[in-house]
Amino acid sequence: MPAGIRFLLHRVLRGLLTMWFAVTVTFFLLRLLPGDPALAIADPGMTEELRAKLLADYGLDRSLGVQYWEYLTQLAQGNLGVSFRQNQPVLDILLERLPWTLLLAGSALAVTVALGIPLGVLAATHAKSGLDRFIQVGGITGQSLFVPSIGVLLLYVFGVQLGLLPIGGAMDGDATGAAAWGSIAVHLILPCLSLVLVQLGSYVLTLRSTLIDALGEDYCTLARAKGMPQRRVVWRHALRNALLPTTTLVGLQLGFLVGGAVLTESIYAYPGVGRSIFEAVGQLDFPVLQGAFLMLAFAVIVANLLTDVAYGLLDPRVRTA
Amino acid sequence: MTISRTSAAGSTPTAGTTAAALPPSESVAQQTWQAFRRNPLGLASAAVLILLILVAAGAGLIADYPSGYGEDVLAGPSAAHWFGTDDLGRDVFAQVVWGTRVSIVVGLAASVLAIVIGVLVGVAAAYFRYADALLGVIVDLSLSLPVLPLMILVAALAGPSVSTLVVVIALFSWPEVARVVRSQGLAVVPMPYVSAARVIGGSHLWIIRKHVLPGVAPVIAVSVVLTTSRAVLSEAGLSFLGLGDPNSWSWGAILHQAQRSGSLATAWWTTLFPSLAILLLVVATTLLAVAYNDARNPRTR
Repeated sequence: MPAGIRFLLHRVLRGLLTMWFAVTVTFFLLRLLPGDPALAIADPGMTEELRAKLLADYGLDRSLGVQYWEYLTQLAQGNLGVSFRQNQPVLDILLERLPWTLLLAGSALAVTVALGIPLGVLAATHAKSGLDRFIQVGGITGQSLFVPSIGVLLLYVFGVQLGLLPIGGAMDGDATGAAAWGSIAVHLILPCLSLVLVQLGSYVLTLRSTLIDALGEDYCTLARAKGMPQRRVVWRHALRNALLPTTTLVGLQLGFLVGGAVLTESIYAYPGVGRSIFEAVGQLDFPVLQGAFLMLAFAVIVANLLTDVAYGLLDPRVRTA
Repeated sequence: MTISRTSAAGSTPTAGTTAAALPPSESVAQQTWQAFRRNPLGLASAAVLILLILVAAGAGLIADYPSGYGEDVLAGPSAAHWFGTDDLGRDVFAQVVWGTRVSIVVGLAASVLAIVIGVLVGVAAAYFRYADALLGVIVDLSLSLPVLPLMILVAALAGPSVSTLVVVIALFSWPEVARVVRSQGLAVVPMPYVSAARVIGGSHLWIIRKHVLPGVAPVIAVSVVLTTSRAVLSEAGLSFLGLGDPNSWSWGAILHQAQRSGSLATAWWTTLFPSLAILLLVVATTLLAVAYNDARNPRTR
């Protein structure tokens, strides 16, 4: 089998394994925890027969193994259950909201990478200078920010005090055509910026240290000895090799990015999956919470797969490893 | 008979002569402390953390427990209320002080629990090669999932309380510790002194306790600090979403109250001060970990 196909197959299998793991962990957590799903929707005053009927309706009277199999088949068919409060299939509720979360997280990731690479290069090429110190301290501070804190701060300054940007929602309801796209973009700025500020530090700091290492390698010394301009050594030679650990970081940070999106959407009333988690917490709507986790896990796994494949296309070492 | 690293090294003749030629050698811990003492950023971070722990311990001496209703509703910072008051007239300074206690207790407890599980799994994976495949996959898989939504689900099911927060955060924080401990353990286990201990017939438990654990101890020290700050952030996130203990104040809970009452957008002091407290703690722990790493590493020392 060609190495490329094997690499792809291996990554797809890994994604499937991760998804199975997420589903299994969820199933057992749901069954083991004291929050009995039937009790959660039942009145304390209801009779024993009614409770038994309820348990039977939800399939909770059968053995754990049967329940697990049922659960897997239901999920494979895309059935995430019915929301306790909205009496609507969870999948429908969440699918309507998923595009907003993908837009928010995707744009935040793109901006983070677009800013992180030049900043990391700047810090590495000016290592130990005042500029480098400044970028490092900024990176550590950024990593330490609590997402809602920075979200509220931006909202207060740019939304409330200066009145430059909308303070919530994803778009104006009455906008159409080009105005609608403009409205979506304007509403995206603050939530996206909150996520970028929190994420940027890890990327800059990782790229900085790997790039400093790469610049000390023999091939960079050779390139300089040949008389190659420093700019070309950095961007063409060192950076390409230094980007590998940074790409691995994307995979590690995706889960964190999604967590940040949940908090950001809660602050800005942004109508994504995270906002429905926020609402479901207040209403103790467990099916929505469970469905939201599984959907976000699925999104992260697919995004991880795409990153891996993209990188495998760019770097032959990854394919054969 | 006990064979430790020093006696094993001392039994070779060369080690004795080099030791005699060098000035009285300090222990690694002393050298690390000497280097750490010269790093102002590290010392300042340690001071900040000690201060926060003192505030947490002596919350009752600093401010009255914030409860009931006050007369000044949503008043800005003043001499009477340093950090202003919230929508029910409660003193925000008192909330932040008492919040320090819950935030730090949850952070430390969750971190200790996560470290214990993480070290056990990490050392087991590094030492018992046959266990590594399974444990490694479990750690890898858990690390690639979005943890916050999972914590939210579990915390909501278990019902909000301080102990729920501790267990939930620990339950989903140990894989990170296990990953770091495992990779350091993989460097320690093939060392000649570990093989030597095996040859003289040491039991697995004894070898792990005497040789593997000391080898990974520095990584654990850094992990304690970083896991605590991450646990504080997780606690703040869960409490902010309304999954905190309803009977106690924490930094995240103050933000939750501000969000729920709608004072978030108008009264900046209700969110700024708890936010600063979180930032202070997390920055201090991060800088402390960096300073410790630098002090421990002979190259940066």
